[in-house]
Amino acid sequence: MCDVCGCGSHDHDHSHSHPHDQNHDHTHDHNHDHDHNHKSKTVDVETSLFATNNALADTNREDFREDGLVAINLISSPGSGKTTLLEHTIDALKGEINIGVIEGDIETERDAERIRAKGVPTIQLTTGGACHLDAAMVHKGYRRLCKEKGGGDIQLLFIENVGNLVCPASFDIGEDERVVLVSVPEGPDKPAKYPKAFSSSQTFVITKCDLLPYFDFKCEDALHDAKKINPHLRTMELCSTTGEGMDAWLSYLRELVKKFAVAE
Amino acid sequence: MHELSLVQNLFAQLEELLRQNNAEKILTVKVEIGPFAGVVIDSFEFAFAVMRDYESWANGAKLILTTPKPRYQCLCGHIQERDKLEPGVCELCGDDFLTPVSGGNDIVLQQVEME
Repeated sequence: MCDVCGCGSHDHDHSHSHPHDQNHDHTHDHNHDHDHNHKSKTVDVETSLFATNNALADTNREDFREDGLVAINLISSPGSGKTTLLEHTIDALKGEINIGVIEGDIETERDAERIRAKGVPTIQLTTGGACHLDAAMVHKGYRRLCKEKGGGDIQLLFIENVGNLVCPASFDIGEDERVVLVSVPEGPDKPAKYPKAFSSSQTFVITKCDLLPYFDFKCEDALHDAKKINPHLRTMELCSTTGEGMDAWLSYLRELVKKFAVAE
Repeated sequence: MHELSLVQNLFAQLEELLRQNNAEKILTVKVEIGPFAGVVIDSFEFAFAVMRDYESWANGAKLILTTPKPRYQCLCGHIQERDKLEPGVCELCGDDFLTPVSGGNDIVLQQVEME
């Protein structure tokens, strides 16, 4: 069901007929006719269903500014290498930039344990089934993270979203920068199939590039599709385990910290 | 898959509106879903039907959804409306680098009829 969101072939006109079908079958419809005898009132509202989430996201952003850190929201499919990239990033920036991590998963503490082993403040958010993190979860998570050892000195906060290219794209969690990842084995058609994750991101990273010789994956194809959706998208190709392309990623992070994390 | 949480959000707003207007029952709800909202219309309607039966003040409420057509802007400045979600090529210059015009990814509760 979720995979349908980004496919672009959804027939809106067709789906519109459903509520009518439902209403006709529904016994409540009779009540509705009856209700018309009473005085009714029409109110213009014009508020977004994301209004509550977006207000909380703005609060998170203000908190991050006040605490002098930059927050990055990592979005990708499951298994594209978000946690591995974080592990290698933490190793590379050790002693230079204070990193903190909020891990989002449906179940288990596994990712948080992997990151904690690297010695940085980490908390795990388990959504218990929800396919994305929202601003309220991140708000609570950040409060918890601040209480962890070293949680007050974070300059660079990674929020690893639930592995999913669809739903996380719709929820602002208060991040300053959104990074979308696609790994080589997933195939180059992800930007075309899940456009929202790419249109709402600032940076697109292709991971596991050491596997390029073994897969039918042309980076140009993926990058072209992504740029078509979002011409301003910054792009990178890397492999966390071999270190290939990591320099560009690390200098991008250093720039972000310089840009956002100065306010005291 | 997040359609249910969106509809729960909608129902929280509706309950608040009922209170503000001293009304008891929701009759009609008009919602506009932007073409880039990433929402599955069928799932949204299904979630609405579930919630409507769950809340007595919403029993029998009618959901009217509108989905405006997507609009794309070319680097040349031209803005075109499309029947499909894919941007296609620019009608003026033929370029295929088209960006969605902002505003199309929101879900807006527009109007509520109550009594």
